[in-house]
Amino acid sequence: MIGFVGLSHLGIVSSISIASKGFKVVGFDPTTELTSNLEQNKLPVHEPGLDDLLARSKNQISFTSDPKKLEACEIVYVSLDVKTDQNNSSDLGPLTGLIEEVAAYLKPETILVVLSQVPPGFSRKLALKIKNPLYYQVETLIFGRAVERALYPERYIVGCENPAKSLPSTFEKLLRAFECPILPMRYESAELAKISINMCLVSSISVANTLAEICEKMGAEWSEIAPALKLDKRIGQFSYLSPGLGIAGGNLERDLATICQLAREYGTDAGVVEAWVANSRHRLDWVLRTLHGSVLSQNENPTLGVWGLAYKPDTKSTKNSPSLHLLGQLKSFAVRAYDPQVELSTEQRGNKLTQAESAVEAARGATALVVMTPWKEFSTADLKQVRQVMDGDVLIDPYAALDRRACIELDFTYYRLGSALEQRGGVC
Amino acid sequence: MLKHRLQRPQNPNRVVLLGGSGFLGTRLSALLRQQGTEVLSLSSKDLDLSVASSVDQLKQILKAEDSLVMASALTPDKGRDVRTLMKNLSMAQNVAEYIEQKTLAHLTYISSDAVYDMSVNPVREGSPCTPTDLYAAMHITREIVFKVAAQKSKTPYLVLRPCAIYGSGDTHNSYGPNRFLRTAVKEKKISLFGGGEEKRDHLYIDDAARLVSACLSFQSEGVLNLATGTSASFFDVASQVANVVGNETKIECSPRANPVTYRHFDITETLRAFPDFRFTSLREGLASFYKTDMRG
Repeated sequence: MIGFVGLSHLGIVSSISIASKGFKVVGFDPTTELTSNLEQNKLPVHEPGLDDLLARSKNQISFTSDPKKLEACEIVYVSLDVKTDQNNSSDLGPLTGLIEEVAAYLKPETILVVLSQVPPGFSRKLALKIKNPLYYQVETLIFGRAVERALYPERYIVGCENPAKSLPSTFEKLLRAFECPILPMRYESAELAKISINMCLVSSISVANTLAEICEKMGAEWSEIAPALKLDKRIGQFSYLSPGLGIAGGNLERDLATICQLAREYGTDAGVVEAWVANSRHRLDWVLRTLHGSVLSQNENPTLGVWGLAYKPDTKSTKNSPSLHLLGQLKSFAVRAYDPQVELSTEQRGNKLTQAESAVEAARGATALVVMTPWKEFSTADLKQVRQVMDGDVLIDPYAALDRRACIELDFTYYRLGSALEQRGGVC
Repeated sequence: MLKHRLQRPQNPNRVVLLGGSGFLGTRLSALLRQQGTEVLSLSSKDLDLSVASSVDQLKQILKAEDSLVMASALTPDKGRDVRTLMKNLSMAQNVAEYIEQKTLAHLTYISSDAVYDMSVNPVREGSPCTPTDLYAAMHITREIVFKVAAQKSKTPYLVLRPCAIYGSGDTHNSYGPNRFLRTAVKEKKISLFGGGEEKRDHLYIDDAARLVSACLSFQSEGVLNLATGTSASFFDVASQVANVVGNETKIECSPRANPVTYRHFDITETLRAFPDFRFTSLREGLASFYKTDMRG
């Protein structure tokens, strides 16, 4: 029996994935509403393929708020989501509290595996506190692709107290079921490996964002350049080279903050990381700057349509969402927002910010339309209809969710990241 | 960096302007009066801030509900030496002595973008301040002097760091739009350093005054750069001036003596604070300047 403690987004996807491989799994969370919903196949997260996977694995998995059910487990994963504050620092209190609480129910030989996002040094300290064998397993959840990543991992990075010792056979059998390389290493290396992966991603994103901005100013086209880079084996076809509105989502920012903190603590140079953070902040406000230049400074009482609230498509997560950040800057303007999954709370809505029922309704009467999350629904929208219902012609599509040629043919004044302003007749 | 203390803008009770006869001071007091705000504009002739007795005079003049704008300084054309620095600091010392004793509704210090090193690009409010000459050192020191004083009396404090301001009423003849327009009118020529490749942000005087006024109306606290976010090369500025004057002005280049430098501003902070603020374009500003000052 495999246990999961802390049914976060990661915990839910991982537990169901392990169940789908034929292992018996019990998912524990103190929130009874959550476990009760999961027992009824009601998922609190949106992930492509997750509903089907749960339906197929239902005989293998159960959910409970009774910690005694963990007594039968040979391996228990801790997958609580570690929240961050406004400075992207982790609050580890709830995680250590939960581990201490459930440890009382575990057999001494039960293997405890931490999946949660922990800073370097955490596992070594925890190992001193608990009696159970402790491992830390690196997970790099990608919202919207979590099922695919969980079922077909590239590799398992496993932090151990002593990597020279073999992994326990039950744990190794479980990992081998996913048919990928297993890399045991000391706790600190594994904890830093996870951050290192994210730093490489941030580095690529920062390159894309820095060069995309130059493209916008001098009339080059980043979408022509990026494919050339991806064909370079040293860079690679899966590299993160799409320009974006800074670094969003929470986890990358957490790791940036952790590296800056470690550099301060150990006196190492993290100037480049600080530069990435500064560049991220700068690019986050690209839409505001573009809106100001094209609409806000040109119209007395503009109405704005905003498509997308989630921080990326196929997720309900709005943590560090550029869209919500933008809406916070536009409080003095009339804004109609729409998202296929996210609903604005009552506090978020106001006199001037309303939620539309559909994409077209959000665009109706708008001086400008901004596509803040590139949901598939938007890329297939009827642009001719959108053009007809809008009052203005400004279309800001940072992530290139829409067909640029179609937008220009419809006489939109079209802006996107990495491209100079384009109108019918050519680049401006 | 910038925080509005008031949710909605409202006219200050009274604005007391130190440095009221300067380029910005003159335009600001005119604008505030136009907006219905009572203004007490004081020049160095009315009040010599460099002498210790000015503290007592300030006590006579200022009231708790006043918004004080400190725009008084000896500019680089009056001297770049230590003597000028010390005189500027004495002025700050006297004003600060008053502020630390008495709480005001609001304090604004008009600093300068000179506090940033030329290598910083783009300049933001959070960019490091690394003064490389006495004028820049004076401004950063004054910023801190007033900050400490304002903290003591719990007076809300704002620092504004303008880039080069141009427009009607400018008393200086520094390199840029002001000098270009004057020489274009008088001599039908504009002389550039090198090919005029350096890029700078040029803020129209009316925009500068409107931004200061907007900050006063929200009782904004923190630091804000006053810039347009669009930099133009001196060659482009000269070309636009020649175009505005329309007298076949000749643009003369010269051998370059110094390396080319660029200064750009990231004005996101301004857009956040005043999202509907409209800047005057360089072309419009130069045309207005020419119409007002040169053509009469």
